[in-house]
Amino acid sequence: MFAKLKKKIAEEAATAPRTGRIPRSMSKESITSVGADSGDDFASDGSSSRDDLSSQILRRNDQIRKLEAKLSDYAEQLRIMQRTKDKLELALEKHQDSSMRKLQEQNEVYQANRAKMAEGMALALEKKDQEWMEKMGALEQEKAALAARLEDMTEQSLSLFQKRDDLDELEGFQQQELAKVKHMLLRREEQLSQREKELKQKAEELQRARQESAQGKDKLSELEEEHEETCRLNAQLQAERDELVSVREESEKRICEMERKEKELQELILQVSEDFQKAQSSALSLEKSLESLQAQHEELKLQHEQFKSKAAVTEEERERLLADLQEKATSLERRLQSDLSQDEHLQELLKEKSSLEQRLEEVRGELLEERTNHSTTTNSLEAQISKLNTNVAELQTLLRHKDESSKAYRERTDSQITELEQRLANLNEKLKSSEEQLTESEAQTEKLQAEWGEERERLQQQVATQRQRGLEKTAQLEEQLLTLQAQRETEKNSHQDSIRLLEEEKSSLLKSKAEIESTLEKVTEELQQAKTELTSRQTVSVEIAKALEETRKQREELQQQVTEITGSLQKAEQEVSQLSEQLGLKDKELQSLREDLQAERSSLSSLQAELENLRAEAEEREREKNDLRQEVIAQTRQLDSCQSRVSDLEVEVESLTGQLNGTDTCDGEQNGTVTVGDLDHLQKVNKDLEQQLSEKNKTIKQLQQRLAELKRTLQKELKLKPELESEGKEKPQDGRGDRHDRQNDRPGTEASAPVPAPAPAPSVAQSSNQGPISSNTTVTNSSDLTDTREINFEYLKHVVLKFMSSREAEAYQLIRAVSVLLHFTREEEDMLKQTLEYKMSWFGSKPSPKGIIRPSISGTTTQWS
Amino acid sequence: MGGFFSSLFSGLFGTREMRILILGLDGAGKTTILYRLQVGEVVTTIPTIGFNVETVTYKNLKFQVWDLGGQTSIRPYWRCYYSNTDAVIYVVDSSDRDRMGISKSELVAMLEEEELKKAILVVFANKQDMEQAMTPTEVANSLGLPALKDRKWQIFKTSATKGTGLDEAMEWLVESLKSRQ
Repeated sequence: MFAKLKKKIAEEAATAPRTGRIPRSMSKESITSVGADSGDDFASDGSSSRDDLSSQILRRNDQIRKLEAKLSDYAEQLRIMQRTKDKLELALEKHQDSSMRKLQEQNEVYQANRAKMAEGMALALEKKDQEWMEKMGALEQEKAALAARLEDMTEQSLSLFQKRDDLDELEGFQQQELAKVKHMLLRREEQLSQREKELKQKAEELQRARQESAQGKDKLSELEEEHEETCRLNAQLQAERDELVSVREESEKRICEMERKEKELQELILQVSEDFQKAQSSALSLEKSLESLQAQHEELKLQHEQFKSKAAVTEEERERLLADLQEKATSLERRLQSDLSQDEHLQELLKEKSSLEQRLEEVRGELLEERTNHSTTTNSLEAQISKLNTNVAELQTLLRHKDESSKAYRERTDSQITELEQRLANLNEKLKSSEEQLTESEAQTEKLQAEWGEERERLQQQVATQRQRGLEKTAQLEEQLLTLQAQRETEKNSHQDSIRLLEEEKSSLLKSKAEIESTLEKVTEELQQAKTELTSRQTVSVEIAKALEETRKQREELQQQVTEITGSLQKAEQEVSQLSEQLGLKDKELQSLREDLQAERSSLSSLQAELENLRAEAEEREREKNDLRQEVIAQTRQLDSCQSRVSDLEVEVESLTGQLNGTDTCDGEQNGTVTVGDLDHLQKVNKDLEQQLSEKNKTIKQLQQRLAELKRTLQKELKLKPELESEGKEKPQDGRGDRHDRQNDRPGTEASAPVPAPAPAPSVAQSSNQGPISSNTTVTNSSDLTDTREINFEYLKHVVLKFMSSREAEAYQLIRAVSVLLHFTREEEDMLKQTLEYKMSWFGSKPSPKGIIRPSISGTTTQWS
Repeated sequence: MGGFFSSLFSGLFGTREMRILILGLDGAGKTTILYRLQVGEVVTTIPTIGFNVETVTYKNLKFQVWDLGGQTSIRPYWRCYYSNTDAVIYVVDSSDRDRMGISKSELVAMLEEEELKKAILVVFANKQDMEQAMTPTEVANSLGLPALKDRKWQIFKTSATKGTGLDEAMEWLVESLKSRQ
């Protein structure tokens, strides 16, 4: 390991100055390879620093060699230490063998001691055996004394047996006497039972008599029931009688009523007769009125005749008057004739004559009228008369009817009266019959009562007789009972006497018995005492015998034990002696072994101390070794870092040289005289420049991206543009416009739209085709304007289309976009909003179009921003 | 008339449509995300000149989603749409490291608008399926999101073509909108 390392270090030392470059293999082999790969090349012009490095490396190599030499020394020392350790182990094994041997010897000595001890024990046992033998002799003497006592006790027991026989005989006599007494008692008891039987028979007879009396009572109750029934019948009969009496009363009442009715009827008859009289009187009055009427009629007739006469008189008078007048007329005519102016007179006379004639005629008419009147009056009077006559006739018929009716009424009332009288008679008859019935029923009741009374008496008599009988019977029975009781009492007395006698006998017997028993008890007590004594004696003797046997057994056991113990003692003594011997030996051995052990322990401890010292030394050595190794590693690291630095420096130098070469400045000339400070400065400058470069690169990239974006949009818009223009300018040709259908649907707007600026320059297309890095991306203003306008137009079109087609809610949101695109004024926008709100809302009036769009003002929205 | 009734019903039931803007540079995938959200499918899109409006229903909430065109020339018109906006979904092309700066400047300019002071910001780090895509934290840092104050924001990694991450983002958006109400 170390050898290899050494070799390699040597090789490195050899190669480093030659090539001026450390191979990578070294960095791989070295323990740490930090930053070894990062360095690329070593600079060619860092010679002074390299020399220093090589010298340092040589120094380090020398140090390493010294350290290796030290390491080899340490390794040798370690080997020596191991050898000493082996030796110490061998010594330890030897010590162990010797100690084992000593232990075996000690064991043997101990066994010998034990044998001796056993012999001593046997001797002691023999002595103890002799002592036991002496104790046995004493015990035998005690046994003989006890046997003598036993014989005495047997004699006492024999005398006790004789006393027992006497007692038995006495008990026999007692039993015989007792039997006799018992026999007498039995006889008396039999007599008693017979008397009791007789008593029972008498009691049965009594019961029978009682039963008979009960039967008599039953009969009595039956009779009483019958009596009750008859009473009930009586009550029923009385009720019937009451009913009949009531019936009679009712009939009497009826009779009274009937009489009352009769009276009423008679009154009615009287009234009827009065009515009849009244009717007759009315008839008479009617006849009278008739007569008066007839008289009136006659008077009327008379008046009529008078009238007639009067009329005739008046006629005559008229006729006379007429005659007078005629006479007068004639006289007048004569006068006329006699007068100067006859004619006039004549005429006047004629006139008078005519008037007089007229008067005459009128008077005649009046007369006629009066006559007719008179006749009519007469006629009417006649009619009245006839009427009166008819009235009279009717009255007469009425009268007749009334007579008839009165007659019929009378007949009816008569018949009714007769009927009532008949009824009365019937009722009287009924009354009579009912009274007869009553009497009959009363008679019956009387009979029944009589019968009942008889029956009752009979029954009472029967009951009395039966009672008497029963009483008699009971008296007889009571007498019998009394007699029986007397008999019984007498018997009882006799029995009691006999019982007393017997009891006296019994008491005397009992006394004798008690005496005997007392004597017996005394005897038995004596016996028992004797027995107890005997049993105690016997138990004592038995116990003594048992004790003797036990002592014997104990002796035997003891003898056996003694023999065994003596055997074992002997053995133990032997063993003890052996063991003591062995022990002595072993103690000696142990002491020697202990000494050895102590010696060995001391040696071991010394050895261990040595070992510890050695180990500590080894550890120190190892630590030193590790330190050395770490130092080596650190140095190698330093080396590597130095190398990496060197390589970095080389790289920098190279880059700087490259830059210097690239920038065709006069730096190349100065290159040779560049100091380290200049180099650092240059490096810093370089770094700054690089950072700036990178930043600028970034900004360039961003700018390029923007450019690219703009170009993309441009391209898109350019694509749209040419078509537009082609359509606008070359409508008939329409060769290219078919590709984009989107633009085809707005020719109207194009027509109205202002003509856009001239066609896009071909440079735009070229710029769009070129890469984004090229600097020719500046687009002419005109084309940009048109593009934006185009885009905006497209946008406006889309927004307006959506605005028109979408829902109100969406359109409302679009108002702002539309107004911004079309450059609406605020008023216009508000107006649009209001109209839309009106459309959306339920109510409200349509807003008045305030800001009327005048094309002259608001129509100039041709410019799109 | 339909709008009339819809406005009537919305007035009756008090369910106002949430207004959401999808913004971002051109080619970030805004239109693809919009139609992915609405129809759940990937549609082939052309660059949006103008905008797209769709109503998207997500968890019983109705959203009026506006996808505004992100081209450079029409970006200035974004501000026309800012009023009454509840949330802004800002879509970033995670693989486009070069234009991240432009995206940041646009975002900053947008967030400074007074009309969007109360809007919730959700950033979609889109195109996560691309190999050279930046991670969401990288995107957030390059957009300067951690420096934002007084703004509820969250970033999600999404892939509109694969359809990943959109659900989580919408879930968060819905929850935050609900909590804001």
